Amino acid sequence: MTADPRLPTDAIRRLTIDPGPWLSCDDCFRLVDRYVEGLLVRGAEPVPAELAAMPAHLAGCSACAEEAATLLLLAATEAGIDPAPALERLPAP
Amino acid sequence: MTEVSPDRTASRQAGGIPPPGEDWIADLTSSGPVREDALRRLHALLVRGARFQVSRMSAMRAVVGAAQVEDVITLAADEAMVAVLSKLPTFEGRSRFTTWAFKFAVLQAAVELRRQAWSRREVPLDAAPPLIEPRPSPDLYAEGAEFAAAVRDAIDRVLTPHQRRIALALIVDEVPIDVLAERLGTNRNALYKTLHDARSRLRTHLAGQGYDVAPPTRSREETR
Repeated sequence: MTADPRLPTDAIRRLTIDPGPWLSCDDCFRLVDRYVEGLLVRGAEPVPAELAAMPAHLAGCSACAEEAATLLLLAATEAGIDPAPALERLPAP
Repeated sequence: MTEVSPDRTASRQAGGIPPPGEDWIADLTSSGPVREDALRRLHALLVRGARFQVSRMSAMRAVVGAAQVEDVITLAADEAMVAVLSKLPTFEGRSRFTTWAFKFAVLQAAVELRRQAWSRREVPLDAAPPLIEPRPSPDLYAEGAEFAAAVRDAIDRVLTPHQRRIALALIVDEVPIDVLAERLGTNRNALYKTLHDARSRLRTHLAGQGYDVAPPTRSREETR
């Protein structure tokens, strides 16, 4: 798309993604355990209203997304669940 | 020591992964050998969570070095232990206790490793030069190049100096948000709010110019 090294294509995408409804990193942290367990057990069902802002936050915050992915893998191991399908549904920056 | 949320049992029954048989809360709030054993198991759990987080951050782990990585894991687990015990009254049982506890170790380990990895790196905090190209380049004729130029222009014209500085540091220079927060004397929430507002401002401007801005949320399978 662009050869400008100061603004690579992926940076353009990440700068212009829909930030969604506001959710702070602190609130993401508060909810993330429920969210990843929901991905593990509910599959592709819609997320509950209280967790509705989580996908956009995780798509927009690389630090929270990195930590959520780790938590999902740990939770899956504890519960004896294959993490792959849930990991596919976890929003990525 | 600890008051447990009265709706914990009900919440557990409402959904989520079925809790394991062992009752962490009861053990951690008891006394004597039972509590001592629970504390020992909790610390082992947090070490495991911290170690796993660090294991997934290979680039930063390589920068920090093996010996220091062990210190990061130990420090993260110890700090997570304090956090978990102090937050125990807030545990509502809406997730497994282990998942809830793991998140403290994961956060502490990730933040500490990012901090260590960037401890000797300079963070570009000065105002970056304008991104506007002085004249059209051949790239402008490539697919999407016009949008790229519009984004560059919007960054320079629409964002406040603070929004521009934060957005470019986080997205283009890929400074970890915790590191940037520490260098600027602020916190993760404030920086993410700035980025959130900058994205909204960019999208509003680009939409006003007739661009079909990116879809809301991309899952991992969509990014492949």
